[in-house]
Amino acid sequence: MDSDCLSLLPAVCLVLADPKQSPPDDTSLEKLLDWFKELHSQSDGQVLLQHQPCLLEFISSVCMSKTTDPAILSFTLKLTGLLAATTQELHLFDEGGLLVNVFEREAWGVCDLWEDASVRSGWLQGLLNMLKHQQALGFICGNGLIKVILQLQNDRSLFVACLANQLLVHILNFLTSPNMTNGSDVVGSSESSLRPDWVSASSEIMNAVVEALSSEDHPQVLQGLRLLSLVLSKCGEPIISTLWKDVLVPLEVLVNRGSESLIQTLITVLEAALGTPLLSQSEYKVEELLEAMLGDGNRKECFHCAALIVKLEKCPEVLKRKATDIILLPLQCVSTQPQAEKEINVVLKEQLSQKASCISLLMQSLSSLAQLAHTKYLFEDISIHSITSSVLLLLRMCSGHCPTSLLHSNAFTHLIGCCKVQRCGLDTLGALSVYEEILDLRKDIFGVLLDYLQSPDSHATVLKKTFQAVKRWIVCSPFPDLLQFISHDLFPVLEKRMCDLRWEVRDSTLEFITQLTTALNGNSGFTEALHTSGMVSVLLSSLADAEGYVRASAVAAVGEAVTASSHQMVLVSNSKLLDEALVQMMAILSQDTEGFPRRAVVQAFTSWLKGSHLITALELSLSSVLSLGGSDFDWEVKMHTLELAEVLMEKTLTCCPYAVQNFGSSEETRFTQALIKFKNFGLFDLLFNSLFDCDRPVCEKACALLVKLRTLTAETADLDNSLLVLNVCGNRWGDEVQRRYLNKQQAKASVSVTNGVTGSDEGTDCGLHCTKDISLPKILQILDLDDMQRMLTLSSDHVVNSPRSLMEDILSAAQHSEENIVDCY
Amino acid sequence: MCDFHVRFSVLHYEVSPLSVPLSHFHLDHCGALPYMSEMVGYDGPIYMTHPTKAICPILLEDFRKITVDKKGETNFFTSQMIKDCMKKVVPLNLHQTVQVDEELEIKAYYAGHVLGAAMFQIKVGSESVVYTGDYNMTPDRHLGAAWIDKCRPDILISESTYATTIRDSKRCRERDFLKKVHETVERGGKVLIPVFALGRAQELCILLETFWERMNLKAPIYFSTGLTEKANHYYKLFITWTNQKIRKTFVQRNMFEFKHIKAFDRSYADNPGPMVVFATPGMLHAGQSLQIFKKWAGNEKNMLIMPGYCVQGTVGHKILNGQKKLEMEGRATLDVKLQVEYMSFSAHADAIGIMQLIRMAEPRNMLLVHGEAKKMEFLKDKIEQEFSISCYMPANGETTTVVTNPSVPVDISLNLLKREMALGGPLPDAKRPRTMHGTLIMKDNSLRLVSPEQALKELGLSEHQLRFTCRVQLHDPHSDTDTLGRIYTHLKSVLKSYSIQHVPDGTVIVESIVIKVTSSAEEPNLKVILLSWSYQDEELGSFLSTLLKKGLPS
Repeated sequence: MDSDCLSLLPAVCLVLADPKQSPPDDTSLEKLLDWFKELHSQSDGQVLLQHQPCLLEFISSVCMSKTTDPAILSFTLKLTGLLAATTQELHLFDEGGLLVNVFEREAWGVCDLWEDASVRSGWLQGLLNMLKHQQALGFICGNGLIKVILQLQNDRSLFVACLANQLLVHILNFLTSPNMTNGSDVVGSSESSLRPDWVSASSEIMNAVVEALSSEDHPQVLQGLRLLSLVLSKCGEPIISTLWKDVLVPLEVLVNRGSESLIQTLITVLEAALGTPLLSQSEYKVEELLEAMLGDGNRKECFHCAALIVKLEKCPEVLKRKATDIILLPLQCVSTQPQAEKEINVVLKEQLSQKASCISLLMQSLSSLAQLAHTKYLFEDISIHSITSSVLLLLRMCSGHCPTSLLHSNAFTHLIGCCKVQRCGLDTLGALSVYEEILDLRKDIFGVLLDYLQSPDSHATVLKKTFQAVKRWIVCSPFPDLLQFISHDLFPVLEKRMCDLRWEVRDSTLEFITQLTTALNGNSGFTEALHTSGMVSVLLSSLADAEGYVRASAVAAVGEAVTASSHQMVLVSNSKLLDEALVQMMAILSQDTEGFPRRAVVQAFTSWLKGSHLITALELSLSSVLSLGGSDFDWEVKMHTLELAEVLMEKTLTCCPYAVQNFGSSEETRFTQALIKFKNFGLFDLLFNSLFDCDRPVCEKACALLVKLRTLTAETADLDNSLLVLNVCGNRWGDEVQRRYLNKQQAKASVSVTNGVTGSDEGTDCGLHCTKDISLPKILQILDLDDMQRMLTLSSDHVVNSPRSLMEDILSAAQHSEENIVDCY
Repeated sequence: MCDFHVRFSVLHYEVSPLSVPLSHFHLDHCGALPYMSEMVGYDGPIYMTHPTKAICPILLEDFRKITVDKKGETNFFTSQMIKDCMKKVVPLNLHQTVQVDEELEIKAYYAGHVLGAAMFQIKVGSESVVYTGDYNMTPDRHLGAAWIDKCRPDILISESTYATTIRDSKRCRERDFLKKVHETVERGGKVLIPVFALGRAQELCILLETFWERMNLKAPIYFSTGLTEKANHYYKLFITWTNQKIRKTFVQRNMFEFKHIKAFDRSYADNPGPMVVFATPGMLHAGQSLQIFKKWAGNEKNMLIMPGYCVQGTVGHKILNGQKKLEMEGRATLDVKLQVEYMSFSAHADAIGIMQLIRMAEPRNMLLVHGEAKKMEFLKDKIEQEFSISCYMPANGETTTVVTNPSVPVDISLNLLKREMALGGPLPDAKRPRTMHGTLIMKDNSLRLVSPEQALKELGLSEHQLRFTCRVQLHDPHSDTDTLGRIYTHLKSVLKSYSIQHVPDGTVIVESIVIKVTSSAEEPNLKVILLSWSYQDEELGSFLSTLLKKGLPS
């Protein structure tokens, strides 16, 4: 492929350099660059430049041209960097001074192009691509390019500024890499072992960071901080400590200033510092700075800082405790009785009195709490009991219930019906289920959750969160009254919710029932409650819901209910439920206009089949499912049907120890019987049809199953082929098999004629014109399944998306001068 | 934040958006939505119109299918994620104002383009932005033209796909399309139209359906995908979103109940005789359209009509480039002998349409997106010239700063109002703006206008006097005292209602203005008149200096 591409390269270069041609779209140029990258990484780059002189000519002509397009120039800059990534290549470029012409923008044919962000970005990317060896660094430093990069660090384009930062970090990192310091110990090496121009380059960069941090210009400070955090996370010693010493003073100023808009970036810097050896040395004040950001909890910004500090992974414990105390303050303040309120700071009270800041603070408080709960954080100064009570109180306030003692607070009025806080609070309440210490609050917790489920005002998204929280609390530790709670309290609410006007609510309810049934699988009490409560009939009626998504969820819920009840053979309703479910599900599979319910039906069959106890009951429907599912419009229904086929194969064949090389006679019979069973189910029709499907994943799956079958049939020596004859006429897939079969027969016949042999066993068995019936093992041999599988594992667009195809497209677009006006989407 | 580009990399944002209004169901606008809400973790509200909410999952499922087809099931959103994302969507009605939070509100306007497409007005206080998404200013077979009221946004962010194009009559293109399809069918050929499952496909279906009816044609028309059944269902359901003609016809029959267009089974592709098939995907890169194309490409009687853009790396792109030999899997080649036609039924506003929208909305600034830089540059100049407003066209990742003139509500102290009333003039009226003087105190997130005295008192500050001085030279052949006397007399006659004093220490005082006269011994006739006044009398001080510059009456 590469040789084909290389032969096309000169022509492609000519087209790209031709200013009369409109440039290919960005994606084509990016793909071309990807190909160069791959080529370069695979082979010796020098060969490429030497054997393809067109590349140097192309680069030179693009830079000199007075009509170069920005996209082409940007591409050329990136390409040049890529090609100059080894010293030999760099010398080739340098021979004619080409490298300077490429990266010195004054040398370009059109200087204005620098105004285009894509050109600036290409310029930086080119240098980044090139910076793989000392000479490249020498080139950058020697030509004063550091200054330009530093300017670009404050570029108006986000992408350019970001790339400039990356390049600067790469330069700093490169300066301290072993090959730059003449092999001396990196950590211990001092700047004195570096070339003087490199030393000045590194100090230029570091000075720029210090200057940016001391600047009055906000965007410049931000960029400086971003570069600093990048350096801290990407560079090693001695860079980080040298730089840190220099920036410490302006950094302290910024921290103490406490500007809201810098908090996030400052925390990122300090987070990066936490991961470095700076943390262990007190003179670097990392911990001190973080603490200073928190202050004494009396600044508006400290809550945001605390929320960020709580999330830090490597945070010192003392600091985390302080941050935790601060971030829980808003939650406590809102739910505290007035007498205790005196101690709460004025700033916080003021913040809570305004709606926007009140909601935002409480959400920060709640999500930090959830975060801490995920790690089962041990609270010290405040009990988890009291925290959970506060969350419960907050949730009650959100739904309009408030103790009279708190009625005076502004926060209450802000919170009524606030979905954001409700969702966040419910998430937190769910997360708190990991603490066993609060199990005694379970009654209150379920009380609040039930209120939410019952409330007609609950938003669909809030109900979904409520279901999640209920599930977490039920699953975490089943309690004695659980079944009573489920059948007396929960089920009646769920039945109502399944008739909700909003499809989102109906769907979430059904999803919850499915999850609950799965979680409590094997719990006989639950299954009994499910059947005696009338819930099953509501589930069955949901199969006819107007919304496809809901029907799909109902199918899953019914499927799970059937599985659960299958363990309870004593229940009379079991067989009735299965019969009814089967009828309705088959109706959905054959008639439903939407894919989701049909997918769900096939999935339900698969999960039933996995549980062995249901096989006999399902046998009658299986062939219909395989046939309907295999000819479905929707590719995922087809995929799920093949998964069902796979389970069916595994289930049926596990009786045969097919892993053993030679089957005993009874095993062979069993295997033959299994294959006959598959034939009767229509499994082969499904597999062969799917093999020639228009959707690649379907073909791939079918091919894999057929390969498995082929292995098994090949391993079974005395398989009775006459019992496994398939009719290839009148089948969709038959034509293709017939065609291949005839081709093979013809090829054999012509070989026989050439060799003077007349007739063979196969020839007499099945003449060229008698191809109506072919045995399964023969079909599996005829089809070149290995070759098909190899092709199918490739991406469906591997031919049209190959580098050669790309180059051909670029060339043909150049020849095809007429512009086609087609729709843009 | 409105819409996103499908490239996921853009979603690594630092600031979480407050809400996501989504303009329409095309994948370059909604393709990353499940990624953002289910994988990145955006948990806020997503707003879209009812048809967009209904149709979006179909397109996202299609997108998922194409991606899985290419790459397999790797790091891509699942069907469950699409559903979960859709559950978070808040559906909107046109012209309904939705209050996102205390300050932010959004409102949707009809955008044409595709079923359910909307433009959004986003408002915070008195400042607003209109984001058009994709829109169409000319009605087509099934949709009406975009419309917006004179909302005078601070910025109008408009798509500019056809920034320099002026589209010719769509009727001609439609006639051309029908003629080509008819000719092919008449000579027994098959016509393949690769389409995106929704949008243009429905328009072309209406076109063919009507033509078939009129001409009493018998050749079958098929629509290949299962998705389209559901899509047509939604077109029927949301018929009120289509144009007036379709809505009127609805009384007799639903325009989307196609009599001649039937579902396609892949075995039909081998049937002899003519037929027309709409098949997905539109770029001929996989699936059914590609399978049919491979079967029909070798026959010159057949025809392929490409109505949509095709990206590089697809068979469709090659066909549009005029390639006649295509490499297929396993180094096989396919000769393209069938006729290839390109049709444009674009649903984007052209240059005239964009100008029309600006005229409708009367924005204070324009911002062009979703177009090619060169064409945008041309349109930008035209807009700036014709409407005398600033027009911006930032590249991806660039920030544009626009200066706005917001009206900020301020509380005025009662004392100040009373004082203003005492000065006379009409009573305060919300509709008649007038100037008021006072001191603005910005404290505790509130703004108050109070009298300077009250401000000083509240803030515990002492008053500093600031005086302006000015020297005026004039020739007057009298003594300094006489000149001052003449000034006094002159001012007395000009400023009749003011109190003017001639103080014995050699000064004339008018309100806070102090006037002195000096001259030098060398030039006794050249008088230097020194004027000094406090800021309260700035107007009078300026007037007097101008008056005295003109000289004294003889």
